Amino acid sequence: MIKYLLIRMASALPTLLGMTIVAFAIVSLAPGDPIEQELRAMGIVPTVEDLNALRAKYGLDKPFIYRYLDWMSRAVQFDFGTSIATGRTVINEISLHFPATFTLAISALFGTILISLTLGIAAVASNQNTASFLRALTVVLVSIPSFWLALILIYIFVFYFGWARLVGDGSLRDLVLPVITLSLGSGAALGRVVYERIRAEMCEDYVRLAIAKGVSPAKILLRHITPRIIGPLATAWTNALGGLLGGAVIVESIFGWPGLGQLILQAISQRDFPIIQAYLVFMGLGFFITSLIADIIVIITDPQLRRKNSHE
Amino acid sequence: MNNLSAKKLNSVYQFILILKKHSGLSIGIFILFAFAFISLSPLFITYIEPNKMDLLARLSPPSNEHILGTDHLGRDVLSRFVAAIPVSLGAALFAMMVILAIALPWGLVAGIIGGRVDAIMMRMADIIMAFPTLIFALAIIGFMGASLEASIIGVAAAWWPSNARMIRALVLAAKEREFVRAARLAGASHLRIIFRHIMPQILPPLTVIISLETASVLLALSSLSFLGIGAQPPTPEWGAMLNEARPFFTQALHMLLVPGLAVTLAVLGLNLVGEGLRHILDQREPYKW
Repeated sequence: MIKYLLIRMASALPTLLGMTIVAFAIVSLAPGDPIEQELRAMGIVPTVEDLNALRAKYGLDKPFIYRYLDWMSRAVQFDFGTSIATGRTVINEISLHFPATFTLAISALFGTILISLTLGIAAVASNQNTASFLRALTVVLVSIPSFWLALILIYIFVFYFGWARLVGDGSLRDLVLPVITLSLGSGAALGRVVYERIRAEMCEDYVRLAIAKGVSPAKILLRHITPRIIGPLATAWTNALGGLLGGAVIVESIFGWPGLGQLILQAISQRDFPIIQAYLVFMGLGFFITSLIADIIVIITDPQLRRKNSHE
Repeated sequence: MNNLSAKKLNSVYQFILILKKHSGLSIGIFILFAFAFISLSPLFITYIEPNKMDLLARLSPPSNEHILGTDHLGRDVLSRFVAAIPVSLGAALFAMMVILAIALPWGLVAGIIGGRVDAIMMRMADIIMAFPTLIFALAIIGFMGASLEASIIGVAAAWWPSNARMIRALVLAAKEREFVRAARLAGASHLRIIFRHIMPQILPPLTVIISLETASVLLALSSLSFLGIGAQPPTPEWGAMLNEARPFFTQALHMLLVPGLAVTLAVLGLNLVGEGLRHILDQREPYKW
């Protein structure tokens, strides 16, 4: 099993390297000179010498490969330079906003898992009418844009009932509405995956045998089907984290949750390239690491691999 | 001739039978046709100019003059909703075409040639897929500057790899069929195999993918417009309309409901069509207790 884990991790390295190249290339090949724009925004008309001096100061005058290697060597030490807009270090800005986004995304991931299991198992266990109702509900939930859902939840729970606050202080209570907004859609989408996985397994011969032997449905689900689907489901759930991290930008913007989403939206409007770059790297890395963890779970839980391992 | 029209009638009849059996699919088709019809309606009905401001009638509720009310600048919400159909749906369809223009050849080439070419092409797709899609799109927009065009490019750049992967999977399954192998052994060229044998096989599942992916692209594009980094005001676009409604939606609920329902219904229509088609294609039945 260790061998499989090592192979999986080694095969991840080129992807990781490729990700850093992409993250660097996107921003450094950007049209428009950030220094000139920043100076313009401050109302200064720069001379050519000033521009060149500033470019040299930020290292923007060197060729692409050199700048990439230079950036990488600093990035591995978590040095992403300074924000062009605020003048603070990028890592400072990121670490200031990161905990809020992390809390939101992880809570939403648990919400997603909970909702998907509930909907999926309910759909499997229910009769034809309930199942088709659940299917319709799923399609509708998947189709509602999160920004609209958020505004409607705010209208109902903040303005109509007054049960929640809009401008919170970052306590757990303020997390409820954002998490519901984020996890309803992806929970419904993954509920379908849960349902289809279980249904696909129920078409297999081993389930037929178990039914014929008189094993109870709950036991078939827990003992026979669960080990076979938990790996793929773990992959699906962690993949959903990517969507949740993206959706967090929208939800944070609506609920005023002080996370990375606020930072990146500001950075885009100010063309604050170092921030955009670091944000892309961190989100990519976070998503990448969770996918890796999911794959490891798959390897560990795969009964066939485990059996092979114990025979070795 | 008579025979032909009878055949045609028969296929129309079968189509109706399918629609009757799959209510989700027919609702989806109905919604999409309704949008198409409404977007063409300015040819027959004259709406109020979508950008015409009437500051004396700001935030007015639905009335005879303004059937769906007015927004914070006194613009007619109904005519803005109608004018937004070609923008919102058009942007999503265009983005989907861009995605397919990259993903289809990518998946076909990787799937057909296989081996090292396949490994390299899929690794390249994996690198982009390793980023959360919306965040990758955000970074591209950050690099191009906020506009509807940038958001289309950003979404296309973030969405093509997963589509290429799905198409490759379809190609891999299709090329293992006996008759495709036979054609290859008989010396058919790559192009002939692709167009005569692979494409007809992957077209039905590809329709499902296109329908569902267009739905997610539409959601992404309207989200970006909502965040203010997609379509820019005063362009009528559903996401942008909702963004403009944000400070006012407690006073004018119609400003919140109209564009939100529009996005939801359009996405719902596409999802229902995709799901319905998939249901028709997938006929396995589980064993029952």
